Formats: sequence, C-alpha cells, structure tokens
Amino acid sequence: MKKNHNILELKGASSFFAALMAIVAGLLFGLVILLLSNAKEAFPAFLTILVGGFSAGARGIGQVIYYATPIIMTGLSVGFAFKTGLFNIGASGQFTCGAFIAIYIGIKWTFLPPEIHWLVALIGAMIAGAIWGSGPGLLKAFFNVNEVITSIMMNYIGMYLVNMTIVRTVYDALKNQSKSVAKSAVLPKAGLDKLFNTNNLNIGIIIAILSVIVIYIILQKTTFGYELKACGSNKNASKYAGINEKKSIVLSMVIAGALSGLGGGLLYLSGSGKYLQVLDILAPEGFNGISVALLGMSHPIGILFSGLFIAHLTVGGFNIQLYDFVPEVIDMIVAVIIYCGAFALLFKHLIIKFTSKPSLDSDINNKKENEKLKENINKLVITEETENLDNQKKDNKEEL
Amino acid sequence: MEYVIEMNNITKIFGNFKALDDVTFKVRKGEVHALLGENGAGKSTLMSVLFGLYQAEKGEIYINGKSVQINNPNDANNLNIGMVHQHFKLVHNFTVLESIILGRETVKNGLLKKDDARKKVMELSERYKLKIDPDALISDITVGMQQRVEILKMLYCDNDILIFDEPTAVLTPQEIEELMKIMKYLVSEGKSIIFISHKLNEIKEVADRCTVLRKGKCIGTVDVSTTTKEQMSEMMVGRKINFNIEKKDIKTGNAVLEVKNLTIKAKNSKKNVVNDVSFEVRKGEILCIAGIDGNGQSELVYGIAGLLPINDGKIVLNGKDITKESIRKRCLSGMAHIPEDRHKDGLVLDFDLQQNAVLQTYYEPRFQNHGLIKFNAVKEYAKKLIKQYDIRSPREEDSIVRNMSGGNQQKLIIARELDRDPEIVLAVQPTRGLDVGATEYIHKQLIAQRDEQKAVLLLSLELDEVMNVSDRILVIYEGEIVGELNPKEITVKELGLYMAGSKRGVNYEKKS
Amino acid sequence: MKLMKRLVSLILVLALVFTLTACTTEKPKEDTNKESSSGETPDKSKEEAPAEGIELALITDVGTIDDKSFNQGAWEGVEAYAKEFGKTYKYYKPTEKSDSAYINSIELAVKAGAKVIVCPGFLFEVPIHTVQTQYPDVNFIILDGAPHPDGDYTPDIADNTYSIFYAEEEAGFLAGYSIVKEGYTKLGFMGGMAVPAVVRFGYGFVQGADYAAKELGLTEDVQVKYTYVGNFDATPENQAKASAWYNEGTEVIFACGGAVGNSVMKAAEAAGNKVIGVDVDQSGESETVITSSMKNLAKSVYDALTAYYANEFPGGTSVSLDATVEGVQLPMETSRFEKFTQADYDAIYGKVESKEVEILNDADVVEKSGKAAEEVTAADIPVEQVKVEVIK
Repeated sequence: MKKNHNILELKGASSFFAALMAIVAGLLFGLVILLLSNAKEAFPAFLTILVGGFSAGARGIGQVIYYATPIIMTGLSVGFAFKTGLFNIGASGQFTCGAFIAIYIGIKWTFLPPEIHWLVALIGAMIAGAIWGSGPGLLKAFFNVNEVITSIMMNYIGMYLVNMTIVRTVYDALKNQSKSVAKSAVLPKAGLDKLFNTNNLNIGIIIAILSVIVIYIILQKTTFGYELKACGSNKNASKYAGINEKKSIVLSMVIAGALSGLGGGLLYLSGSGKYLQVLDILAPEGFNGISVALLGMSHPIGILFSGLFIAHLTVGGFNIQLYDFVPEVIDMIVAVIIYCGAFALLFKHLIIKFTSKPSLDSDINNKKENEKLKENINKLVITEETENLDNQKKDNKEEL
Repeated sequence: MEYVIEMNNITKIFGNFKALDDVTFKVRKGEVHALLGENGAGKSTLMSVLFGLYQAEKGEIYINGKSVQINNPNDANNLNIGMVHQHFKLVHNFTVLESIILGRETVKNGLLKKDDARKKVMELSERYKLKIDPDALISDITVGMQQRVEILKMLYCDNDILIFDEPTAVLTPQEIEELMKIMKYLVSEGKSIIFISHKLNEIKEVADRCTVLRKGKCIGTVDVSTTTKEQMSEMMVGRKINFNIEKKDIKTGNAVLEVKNLTIKAKNSKKNVVNDVSFEVRKGEILCIAGIDGNGQSELVYGIAGLLPINDGKIVLNGKDITKESIRKRCLSGMAHIPEDRHKDGLVLDFDLQQNAVLQTYYEPRFQNHGLIKFNAVKEYAKKLIKQYDIRSPREEDSIVRNMSGGNQQKLIIARELDRDPEIVLAVQPTRGLDVGATEYIHKQLIAQRDEQKAVLLLSLELDEVMNVSDRILVIYEGEIVGELNPKEITVKELGLYMAGSKRGVNYEKKS
Repeated sequence: MKLMKRLVSLILVLALVFTLTACTTEKPKEDTNKESSSGETPDKSKEEAPAEGIELALITDVGTIDDKSFNQGAWEGVEAYAKEFGKTYKYYKPTEKSDSAYINSIELAVKAGAKVIVCPGFLFEVPIHTVQTQYPDVNFIILDGAPHPDGDYTPDIADNTYSIFYAEEEAGFLAGYSIVKEGYTKLGFMGGMAVPAVVRFGYGFVQGADYAAKELGLTEDVQVKYTYVGNFDATPENQAKASAWYNEGTEVIFACGGAVGNSVMKAAEAAGNKVIGVDVDQSGESETVITSSMKNLAKSVYDALTAYYANEFPGGTSVSLDATVEGVQLPMETSRFEKFTQADYDAIYGKVESKEVEILNDADVVEKSGKAAEEVTAADIPVEQVKVEVIK
C-alpha cells in the first residue's frame, strides 16, 4: 500500500495510471458488448482484440504502425494545442488540406528531382495545414472568437474546398477520387517494408516519432514552449509578464495545423493505395486525434503510445471478423474503448484526489480543479457531440 | 462555568498531515470567542469539524453539556449552530426575504407562506437591530447588507451558536464598526459567537476570550482584556512581531513615475473609471492610493502597467514617455508590478515555483541559450530567491505554485519583482488575505525599497496599512483623486470621510 | 483512502484476469503465428485453408452490406448459392478505404479458409492484382472491374481471377425503350458522374428511347434532358434539380448514380412523377419507381460460384455480361408498367440478345463521332427521333 502510494505520487505516474485505468474500463465495456452479442465466442474474440497487431507477426505490427502514423500526428496536433490552452477541433480540416497539397504536389510537380519530390510534398502539406490552422488562431487572438467553433467550420470549408479542387485538378473520373501520385512522391521505405514484410511501411513513422521528439523539446525545453504553455495556462499572467499572448495563440494554432497537415501528407503519400475521395465526410483521423490526445494526456510521448495503442485496437477489432460478429459490433467496441480513453482525465483526477494530502489549501485547489475538470468535460461533450454529428451524417449517407 | 461548546482533544488527519493535533476548544455561553491563527493553522478545519463537514479521527464534542455526533451540516443546524461564511452563499436575483427563508420555507398546501416568514424576519430585524429592506434584491445591496442578511438567516433558523468566518475581510471601516456593534448586541441577547480572524485589532475590540492555533496545535486560550496584541500575535506566529513599522525619515528625490491627466473609459459605458488623474511618485517615497474598492484604483494601476489601454493622458517613467510602450518594455525600463489578483495575473498556478520565478526574465541570456532554457540556472535562481525571501513550500523549487499557501505565493511574486531591482514598484493590495507574519514581512520589503531611494506606489484597502506604511496618501473616489493627505497629520476617521466621498481636498474640487 | 485501496485491488484483479486468459489461450496464438508466417510466401499458402473454414467470402466496398447496390446485390448471389448447396459464407468489412485495407481484408478471409472471394466494385482492381499472385489457390471474382497494377490501366488477369463487367448500354437501352413504349416522351437522364458505367447507361437509354420512337412512328421528337450532377450523393441540390425538371414538364427521370436516386425519388413523390431505378431492383424504394435498369449482380455471382464448384471456373478471363447471358434486365414482376407488357419485353429482349439492334457503347459513340473522347457528349449519339438536351 505504502509503495503504491509513493508510485502514484510520482510526477507523470498518475497520468499513466489514469490512462491505463481508462483503457481497462474501456476493454471491460467492450467485453460486455461482445458477451451480449455472442457469448460463445466472446472470450476468444476479446483475446484477439488484446493481441491486436501481434497476431500476425511483423506484418501485423507493420499494420499497426501504418494506422498509427496519421493519428499520432493529429493527436500531437490536438495535444500540442491543448497544452497551450487551445482546443484544436479542426485537426480534420488541417489534415485534409495537408493531404490534398501533398498529393497535388505528388501528382503535378514531377519536374522536381525524385530525391526531394516527396520531401517537397510533405513540406507543402505542413504549410497547407499551418495555413488552415492559422485562421482560427488569428480569430481567437484578435477577436476572441472561440476556436472550437471556428475550427469546426474550417473543417467543413476545408473538406468542400478540397473536394472541389480535386475535381478540377487531380481527378480520376473513373473512380471518383484523386489520381495516383508519382512514384517519386511516395515516401521512401528505407528497408522498413522488408523488415515488416508489408508495402505500407515507410519513413512516415520515423517522421512521426521525430515530430513527437521535436514537440516534446519545444514544450519542455525551450523559452518558446515556455511562452506558449504560460499563455495556455494563464493568459492574464502571460500578458502581465510581457509575453505577446496574441502571437503565442496564433503560433500555437499554426504549429498544430502544420502537424495535422503533415499527418495528412504522411498517410496519402504512404503508397498504401489510399486516395482522397470526393465525399462529403470529414476526415475521421482528425477526430481520432482528439481521442489519442486525451488518452495520451496531451503529453507528446503519451500521444505516441496512445496512437499506437488505438491502432493496435483497430487491427485487433478488424481481426475479430474471424469470429461470428457483425462488423458493426466491432466498430462499436473499438469506439467504446476509445470513448473510455477520454475519461483518462477523470481517472487522473480521482487518483490525485486519493493520493494527495488534502490540506486546507488544497481544498480550495480541489474546488478549482473541479472547475477546471468541469470545463474540460464540457469541452469534451462538445467534441463528442460534433463527432456524433459527423458519424450520423456519415451513417445517413451510407444508408442512402 | 457553563460551556455551550466543548471540543476536546480533536485530531484530524489528512493523509500524513495532521491538520488538527489534539486541539481543545471551549466556548462559554454568551461570549464572543475569537479563534486566532495564521492561514493554514487549522481554524477552518476546526470549524468544519464542528459544522459536520469533516469527521475528526479523535476527540469528542459536547454541545450544552451533551455528547454529540455531528455528521453533516444538517446535524449542526439541528444543534442550532450556524455559520456566516467568508464568501456569502446568497442567490443574487433573490430578494432579501427570499434569501433569508431559503431552505427553511414554511409551506402550506405547497404554497409559500411568505407572510408568516416576513413577520418573523421583521421581528428579528427589530429585535437585533439589523435593519434591512426585505424586498430589495441581493444584487442591489451592499456587501455589508448582504452580511446582515446572512446573520438574519442564522437567526431565522433559531441558531444560538454563531460562527463568523473572517467576516471583516470584505467590509469598509464603517461597516466593520457596525458589525462589531451587532456582534456585541447579539451576545447581550444570549447568543454565543465564534469569531474567526487574524486581525488583532478587531479581536481586541469585540472578543471576550481568544483561542490561538498554530500549525494545527492549540497554543492556548487567553482572556482578551488582559492580554496585549503583542502577546497574542506572538502566540499566533511563534515569535515577536513588531507592529510599529519602523521607518526612518528620508529625503525624497526626483520623480520616478509621472502620471499626467490619465483617463480610462469603462468597458461598456461612457463613464470614465479613471478620470483625469495626475500625480507623481518620487524616489524614496511610498505613495499610497487609498479608496474603497471599485473606485477606479485597480484600473489606474492596470493602465500604468500597460494591461489596460488608456484613453487619454501620459505616463512618464524616469523622464521617458512610456505611454505607448509594450508591457515588456515597461518591465525593462524598471517597472515592477505586484498585481492585485495574484492568481489571475501574478502567477501561472500550474507551473512550478522555478518557472514562475522567471516569468519576466526567462528570455534573458542568463536563463536561455539559443532558445533552450538553462534549467540549472533557473533552478539556482529559484533556490536563491527561496533562501533570500524565505519562501516556504512543500517541495521547494519544484512545488506547483497552486499547492503553495497564499502567503508564500505572494512572497514569490515579491521576490521575483524586487529581485529585478526595479525603479518603481506598483504594489496592489500586497497583503490581501495574508496573515500577520507575512504582512509584516511584505511591509518591511516595501520600506526597504523606499530606503534604497526607489519609488513605491502602494494601493491598499486596509486603513492600517495605508496609515502605517505610506509617506503620502492620495485618496481616490469615483475615479478622481479627491485629496492628498499626510498620514502623520490625519486620523483614520478623517481618511474614511475622504474615501466615502464626503470630503475633498483644497486643490481637488469636483470636476464637472 | 478506502477507495484507493479498492482501486488498487481492482487493477490487480484485472491484471490477474488478463494473465490468466493469456495463459489459457497461448496455443491458438502460436497457430495463428504459424499461419501468418506461411502466408507470407505464396508457395506455402496451400496449408493456409483449414479443412473447416469459411469457403465463400465477400469483401464489402466502403458501404454496408445492405447498401441497395453492389455490396447487397453480390451478397444476395453468395447467400443464395451457399444456402442452396450448404456452403459456409461470410462477409468482411475493411477498416478503411484504401488498397492496403482491402488487401488486409482479403488476407483475413484467406486466413479464415476462403476458397472464393467476391469483390464487388472497381475499387478492388489494384488490390486483387496484388493478391491474385500471392494466393494462387484462392479464386477471386471481381465485379465491374479487372485487376491491373497501380498507375497502369492495362488489365492483368491471373488464372484464379474472374472479372465480370456488365453491358450497361443494353440495360439502359431496355429502360429507354420500355419507357417510350409506355407512352412517355419527355424524359430525363440524371447521372452521378461521367464514369464509364454511368455513361454507358445513359447512351443506351437515349438509343432505346429512339428505337421505340421509331417503332411507334412518333411524329414529334422524344425529349431527353441529359446531365451528370457531379456526385453520387443524396443532396438537396440534386433534389431541387430533379424538382425543376419535373416542373418543366419532364415525366420520367432515369436516376443513374447511387444515392442521387433517393433525391430524384423524393422530388418525384412531391411532383407525382416517375423514376427509373438503376443497378438493382429499386421498386421497393419508392412507389414512383416505374422500373429499374438492372445489372444481374446476384445471378452473375451465383453462376460464377456454380462454375467454380463444377470445376469450370472461368479464371483468367474478363467478360461483359449482356442480354445473351441475362447479365442485364428489367424486373418485370415488380415494374409498374400499364401498357408495356411482358410480351413486349420478351420481344425487345430477344432482339437485344440476338444483337438484332445495334447498341453503341461509350467507345462506339466516340468512334462514330470522330471527335476526341473528351469532347463527346450524349448529343453525339446518332439518333433520329430523340432530341437530347445536354445540360452541364
């Protein structure tokens, strides 16, 4: 008991345990759904989910990495903004814009030397995402317009704009989607494809990990990150300290946008045969990014692992099609587990509450933290609602 | 002697922390019993145990001689214990009457029997000389009035034991005087009062006996009339406190800060919250701006610090016009600012101590190299401040500021601001909510600044502070300076008249 | 503190449960590992299909299994055959819309023991090109597409793959013919996007109308409004456009583009006019659906499966199923015709089947017009008694 106590008091440990508890809660909930829909095969199927990407050797791990790469990037985008006090719900739009510019450069700019073609395409994707993120940032900084609303709207504007532009520029009319990018624009494999025996793997995951490290350094080690975090944590105090809080807000959103945009580039240049569809659906990677960030407690390293974990679940969920479950049930379980991931914050609060020594001061603090928690949960509710809205929209479409 | 409350050997533990350690506290019938202690000494915890918010690990409670178990505030209410909280728990869009009867409504056939309630409230109001307007809205009445409503609410519930949790913190001097009268009257009518405070003057004036707590332990109970303030404060802090602030007379030098015709408009109306204010602060003086809260003094300082845009006027620092300079430039030109609301403006509560220590200086070469923070330098600097300014916190420089006590948070701000060696310090209510020890410390620091021929602009609502610390007083009323006073030449009463707007100085006639 | 204790114990219990389940099921885990490692090299893949697996598999396109279109049509064929002959069958849903996700789904199906995998839609062209060589002992049926490598559209069909196309122009022809025979002369064609299948439907529709008009000896031209709406979705814009057409006097609209049909049906319901469905029998969707220009998805899948079990799997070939093999049809039992009879249908079907009438497909029209392919529109179809108004 004593030992546990100490562990939980360690810096960061409470976050880790909270995330773990959220995952366990989600898995249990998933098990209940499995039991309800087919009790006989529930346990082997559940095990399949747990085993996830490890069921098919290196190839399965390759799959996990492939699915993880884009959501690590969008998760990083959401998490970074969150650390700096902004709620970037616009990762989806930034992702789509980045993806489009990446494939546009990939298809049209074949005059570039093949060695740098993909690199230019990725940089283009980052810039596109950054521009898309800057809009809500500017509005927030100069007119105090809530970034949640503006970035949701930017999602739709981005999606429709990209749909329109695809049709006019890089359209494959036969398949109602974008054309294939030039071979030189596909990300180099760097031997990873052989290592994991799959065609989809490339340096994308390495770029994602590098991004995680860079964001970690910015946030933890630099004066720039210090400014951003100070603004996010207390705008008034930052202003008081002479930090240009408007600049910080805009830069936060620009960086968050660039990360999402890069994520879009990494996915669509991965050579996995994924094309931008001309469909009125927001990129789900953007919203998965929110779950990833929440589960990873907005910490870059946490996000890296939560991204991998959610990808692991996706692969595991896909594999339980081997048992007698309708795919819809599988989608539901994965969603439920991710959903519980969002409660990581709640669990963290519980852990802190039961391990810290409440003194008279901390009573006041608890109150304040409660308020903060409430605020966060409110934000969460907004997210879930919009996400539901999108899903509904999607569902409606599929029904038709 | 008959005790209405006996709390014997109360021990309350949170985790590893003993908030109350074997505390014994006894209140006689019909007395005002003061509970004295620094912030965090355990006053509130003790009262929370009495009020049923916490359960003590050890100890017994007797009410009127009978052993009782108080599990929740309802039990306390049933034992006729009532509490006036520091922050009133009133509904703003209720009338006074509605607020008083809230939770104790008498109902007939599902309808409120307001007439009976009104009768009872008016009777109580007559009897205890608590004048109120039962139909006024809470949001329309003054803070002092709201407090009366809270008191009436307790009386309406037929409470005999009344707990006042730091009731004077929010009141003007006149209102405090009123409250003292009310308390004395209540006691004469047979009520018993527990008066939580750390203000010795008030205790001296109103209390019969006083129990002193320090760090969760009961130091003792004394008879107020035979104990001096110095003795009580020594019991509270554990060392001697000097109340007579020692100030040498020193010569003032040139003006450091000049404010000329400063005007700031209110956010949503045409009214000027700061109206054509001019003054200067000279080297080697503490200029105090006195006034009742909400008369534009906060905005004035915000304007000078650059946190609020000004509509008209000029601000000159050391001969340089800084009216249009950024906040950072003002900082660099030698302006330090101890903000009014340390949580809102002064600190990033979720950062740790060291990160807060470099809030304005993180970008200086001594703390960063090509944008990378020199963590060791920051740590060393924080350690230096901790040592030099005696900042106490559970985990030293790694403490999250949110978890530090108010006094130490304030010390951190003062350390940070003064260590930058500023030309002028804007100190806004620097001792608000702090205990005697911390207050004394901060006053000493401000005076040390002055003695070093630096300028201090002090803004305070506490009359003692205004009178004792400052060299010169400007009184602000409704956004205008209404008088310049010398603290050595006026009385507190006189100052009160200026603050209330009923008197103006010779050169400060009303502007049209 | 109490809760903390409970919390910790809860975690411990859960950890215990997980380790237990992990222990008890270690064996199957090894098995799966073996399977997958052998799956990596094609020559060993024989071991892969366990004796008791699920023989018939269908991979869904992005939509659901009951999409009233390709997924559903093909699934009906799989289901009918499997039920009749007692085969095990199952469908798999990919995680996302990408070639690699399709390949993963196919691999999963193979892992579960699939012998024949049905892939409805051209989106499977590239994925099948990859897996057909990887799993030579598994057979693939692709509808409306032929495997080809990424970026190169030359078909490359291996011996274990059977590619099925449909003669949409004949289906469209039947619809156009029947509707003019029924007595309608103001027609509309609302395609989704100008993809080849939709274009063929449209061109056939115009020619069918023309043929009927000539046969009837109509003195006035048959009017055909002809457009591609630019999407395959049910949008208010599409509905508004259809409503406008009905208001301008159009009597029947051939709604040829997935969910565009739903918009047109809504407009038709409001205006009291008619709609022609597409791909599958859509008579159940709305009372306004007079008939449907059908591809016989279910039958073609059923037939292919029959051939497979008779050891006559037509691997390596690509066919365009037309009237001769009942690849296209109108669902006469559910159609809401009043004048156009079964006999009329049989007669024209016979002519189409015997190629007595010449029906031009998209490529033929381009050839005849002598223009560049991009410039050819429906107005270039050589017809005599139909006036085509192409609306962009």
